[in-house]
Amino acid sequence: MALYELGIIIDPELPPEAETVALERLEKIITDADGSVVEKDARGRRQLAYSINKKNYGVYHFWKFESGGEVMTDLNFELRTSDAVLRSLILNLDRELRRKRKMDAKLQAKAAKKAAKAEAKIEQAEQVEQDAETES
Amino acid sequence: MRQGRKRFRRRVRVCRFTVEKINYIDYKDIELLREYTPTNGKILPRRVTGTRPAFQRKLSRAIKRARHMALLPYSGH
Repeated sequence: MALYELGIIIDPELPPEAETVALERLEKIITDADGSVVEKDARGRRQLAYSINKKNYGVYHFWKFESGGEVMTDLNFELRTSDAVLRSLILNLDRELRRKRKMDAKLQAKAAKKAAKAEAKIEQAEQVEQDAETES
Repeated sequence: MRQGRKRFRRRVRVCRFTVEKINYIDYKDIELLREYTPTNGKILPRRVTGTRPAFQRKLSRAIKRARHMALLPYSGH
């Protein structure tokens, strides 16, 4: 099971019912393969940067879903053949975020080291102060 | 400065991603990507923006993804 991100552009001239039907079909493909849609982000109607199929607007949807890799054949087929979908993009977020996690861990380790160093410095200063007091 | 020489002060450019500790560049973050694509739609080179190589690679990938999803243009108007 991996986390995927799916971006879809839906035909804006489609009636809302047809849009929900198309989205439900996509969701069904995912849930049928024991996957689940984790997050749904509907960005709504937006102007396209260039026209696709002579359309200047598109309805954007971004989903995050968890599933095995086997779904991809069916999902890709559906995305390619569906008339409602203008464009789509699937990313494997696990793979995408692997580097990020690594870097996050690195940064955290660095911060922790820095904090430890600062603490040691303060302790040292206190020690020096104490020594000075005992001497006097 | 000596005569005849080009008077040119190199601006100090810093890699934004290193400074702000942005580890992952999302293709949906168009506001960020716009800063690296002028109106002609091309990706600004590293020598102009000062981005570190690792981030430039990620950036160009994100921009290309955004182009595929019609969030950014392939070419300017």
